Amino acid sequence: MYFRLIRNDMVKSKLITLTTMLFVAAAAMLVSLSAILIVNLSGAIDSLMNQAKTPHFLQMHSGDIDTVRLANFAEKNSNVDEYQVLEFLNVDNSQIILGDRSLANNVQDNGFSIQSEKFDYLLDLDGKIINVSDGELYVPINYMKDTTAKVGDKAVIGGKEFTVAGFLRDSQMNSMLSSSKRFLVSEKDYAEIKGLGTMEYLIEFRLKDLSALGEFETTYASAGLEANGPTITYPLFKTLNALSDGIMIAVILLISVLVVVIAFMCIRFTLLAKIEDDYREIGVMKAIGLRLSDIKKIYLAKYAAIAAGGSILGYALSLMFKNMLLENIRLHMGESENSSFATFLGIIGILLVFFAIVAYVNGVLRRFRKISAAEAIRYGTSQEKNTAAKRFCLNKNKLLNTNIFLGIKDVLARKRLYGTMLAVLVISAFIIIVPQNLYNTISSTSFIKYMGIGNYDIRMDIQQTDQISEKASEILEYMNSDNSISTYTILTTKTFKTKIEDGSEENIKIELGDHSIFPIEYAEGRAPAVEKEIALSALNAEEMSKKVGDTITIIIKGKESKLTVSGIYSDITNGGKTAKAIFTDSSENIMWSVICAKLSDKTLADEKISKYADRFTFAKISNIDEFVKQTFGSTIKSVEKASIAAIAIAIIITVLVTLLFMKMLVAKDRYSIAVMKALGFTNSDMTVQYGSRAVFVSIIGIVLGTLLANTLGEVLAGAVITSFGASSFSFSINPLSAYVLSPLLMICSVLITTIIGTWNVGKIKISDNIKE
Amino acid sequence: MKKIIIGEDIVKSFGEGDEKRNVLDGASVDINEGEFVAIMGPSGSGKSTLMFALSGMDSIDGGRVNFDGSDLSSVGEIELSDLRRTKMGFVFQQPTMLKNLNILDNIILPSIRDNRKNVAKMSEKAKALMKRVGIAELETRDVTQVSGGQLQRAGICRALLNSPKIIFGDEPTGALNSTSAQEIMDIFSEINAGGTAIMLVTHDAKVAARTERVLFMCDGKIVSELKLPKFDGTNIDGRVGQVTEKMWEIGI
Repeated sequence: MYFRLIRNDMVKSKLITLTTMLFVAAAAMLVSLSAILIVNLSGAIDSLMNQAKTPHFLQMHSGDIDTVRLANFAEKNSNVDEYQVLEFLNVDNSQIILGDRSLANNVQDNGFSIQSEKFDYLLDLDGKIINVSDGELYVPINYMKDTTAKVGDKAVIGGKEFTVAGFLRDSQMNSMLSSSKRFLVSEKDYAEIKGLGTMEYLIEFRLKDLSALGEFETTYASAGLEANGPTITYPLFKTLNALSDGIMIAVILLISVLVVVIAFMCIRFTLLAKIEDDYREIGVMKAIGLRLSDIKKIYLAKYAAIAAGGSILGYALSLMFKNMLLENIRLHMGESENSSFATFLGIIGILLVFFAIVAYVNGVLRRFRKISAAEAIRYGTSQEKNTAAKRFCLNKNKLLNTNIFLGIKDVLARKRLYGTMLAVLVISAFIIIVPQNLYNTISSTSFIKYMGIGNYDIRMDIQQTDQISEKASEILEYMNSDNSISTYTILTTKTFKTKIEDGSEENIKIELGDHSIFPIEYAEGRAPAVEKEIALSALNAEEMSKKVGDTITIIIKGKESKLTVSGIYSDITNGGKTAKAIFTDSSENIMWSVICAKLSDKTLADEKISKYADRFTFAKISNIDEFVKQTFGSTIKSVEKASIAAIAIAIIITVLVTLLFMKMLVAKDRYSIAVMKALGFTNSDMTVQYGSRAVFVSIIGIVLGTLLANTLGEVLAGAVITSFGASSFSFSINPLSAYVLSPLLMICSVLITTIIGTWNVGKIKISDNIKE
Repeated sequence: MKKIIIGEDIVKSFGEGDEKRNVLDGASVDINEGEFVAIMGPSGSGKSTLMFALSGMDSIDGGRVNFDGSDLSSVGEIELSDLRRTKMGFVFQQPTMLKNLNILDNIILPSIRDNRKNVAKMSEKAKALMKRVGIAELETRDVTQVSGGQLQRAGICRALLNSPKIIFGDEPTGALNSTSAQEIMDIFSEINAGGTAIMLVTHDAKVAARTERVLFMCDGKIVSELKLPKFDGTNIDGRVGQVTEKMWEIGI
């Protein structure tokens, strides 16, 4: 009997069944996809890091190195399994030419290495350890992705010719968020190009017990070993590798939650409409003694069938699409070990969607309990009334056109029904606005304030070179006489030791210089103003659990000195862990210096950059916009793509749901429509009434959606940005697009869809519907 | 006397192919201005269909309907709506009210379609009409909160508000008890006395006896007619007798 009921019902309402099933399928597909992607991503990262034997602890170091002392340390420390020091030859980007393209404008620190012997292997695209021959060059995978190079290309490194033999996966530096990139050459070739650049050492350890990593870090720091450079640990490598695909998965997951909610709303709407229609029948069924659960079953069966159909369809779709989305993960990290487990988890995801829907329908049907049989049979309608709608009377309306009034009145009188449409429109507006605002924020020039960078035009990085201070003053001297430069300053980063609570020492990178020239925004407090003050990046402050006003102990010139935390700022560069201070320190252990300059005429930037680059070949000179673009270019681009996709998705959702709702409403309201027509209302009057219902609901939806986007959306987007090291986050909004164009786009699509959806009002015959 | 409706050889069929059936099969009917007419006939004889055809609520498949000088088959949807709103009033068997609106709003609904400025004027007029039909206290009630007889009175108010030339009533007393039905018929008589033509479709000889001309339908045609003097409140039994006699005579 159930089968017949379901079949008849579905045949009668094909469009509604189809749309609902479509949303269920989309929700199921997305949930299943995110399950598959999560498992594959973590699997792929694990297998990449296992195959490559990524170091558990890496200390980068430039300057002199005492390998004997390091080897001793490694031998004595019982937790060290393996130890090695790799060389990383930093070569100026202008010296690297791949095919016919120079990397001169690249912001990555490109360098050369040989294949390591013990661990930290560079792998080919099959996950095998590369065995490189003389004359061959293996290029980091990201240059394959951005089509800078292809296999067989000629490459010229400082005059020496190579052939691009293939591409490599680097478990350390694959991610665009890591600023260094390793090229692989043979030992013989390496010896030949060694003179081209400066040496940086990668001091690497593999531990027996990874869980004791924190302890090892402290031991290393307090042992006073080589530490002129960043320290990176195994979990951080993992995070770096997971980040960009992880964000994609997070977005898919978020969208899938939204689509599930939309599917729920569609179900709720159709169900409520059906209950309204069947009110009398439900009352009769109750009156003749059918159990509540029996009545529920009739309705539940249909939705269980739709949910099952949608889930199966969604799963099939997810299997079809998964390869497309896995492409990037496969390229960067290779095949995952546990892909069959992923398929299984996908099924679990689907089942989750299915049961959620059944549970939801069951919840909506609880309303049956409240239906009084007597009332239902007598009136055939629910007697719940809301006073707001009651006060809104036609005979007191002097303002609105009668048709518009009737449209709005209907919305107010059937809040529950329109509430579902409203929810969908709120979600649509949210989906349109949040990615758009996020894109606008990270692509705006003010976003650099989250990077701990002031508002300047050109930055010159001097690092991995000898005599940084002399070289820096050479530039400064030249700048002094360059009147196209309006202001400039030099910021020098050095490593200091800091004493933490338990008495052990840790390294901290402090940027010294005048921080008042290009001020950055402080989340709390202000810039350091006196020698005894220090500002911490958000991540540093969090890790050291310091607030503004607290003191930290820094060892300067061998003496402990107490500095007060004057402010906390956002920084997403250098792993997010930096500090700023203004005390003077004459020691020569400079890690790098950055000269920042503002031009009197910004349009001259490119010209200036090439002039300075020619003159000071040791410095890496970049346009600040370019710097931002290259560091975050791929992220900005993905967010832009996502925001366009979001608009398209939201509009499709809006159109589909409006169409569904309007068709259902017209079908439900046949009788009222016939009455109105009998009373002399035209078809276009009816269209205006339905149009004003839709527009009224969408205006509320857009307002709520926009409010939500600017509050909850900002918090959500902020959570993502904060994980990079930004401390406070607020949207920078393009008002024209967010408050004018997007709402207009939504209202227009709602209106056009309503006109299409209510097309068949003209076909409703008075005589068929007012039967005596 | 000027004719407000001229219907000639009206044909209306339902169904397709073998099941096609002429519900109206060459029905002809004229109605004069200010006339009070009843249409009687057995179920399925085409009474309601005839009313829908004459009021332009349904298209016809043959013949011609002229309403107050306009040929309904050549008039567009919008003009047809305008005609219904301004020159016709309708009272149905079941109260056809919109659930979302209260009684007063339902009554003024068709009259303020064109002109919002009318709201105050129409509300006043509606209240006067409500008072006249005895439902003055119901204006803010919801349609589900009043009785069938009260709703029917509200329906009459709605039909009257635009001062139509004719009111069509399809079994307007069919769902009411005899007291309510009497009262409704009194209202109709009063309206008719004011010059508005009324055409009622009915089964009830007592209702038909109040009119001045009764048309009898059978198988989609007008088969007979009975003329009565204008009702003056007297001799109702004699009039009912005349109607039933005629019904016997033609076998319905």
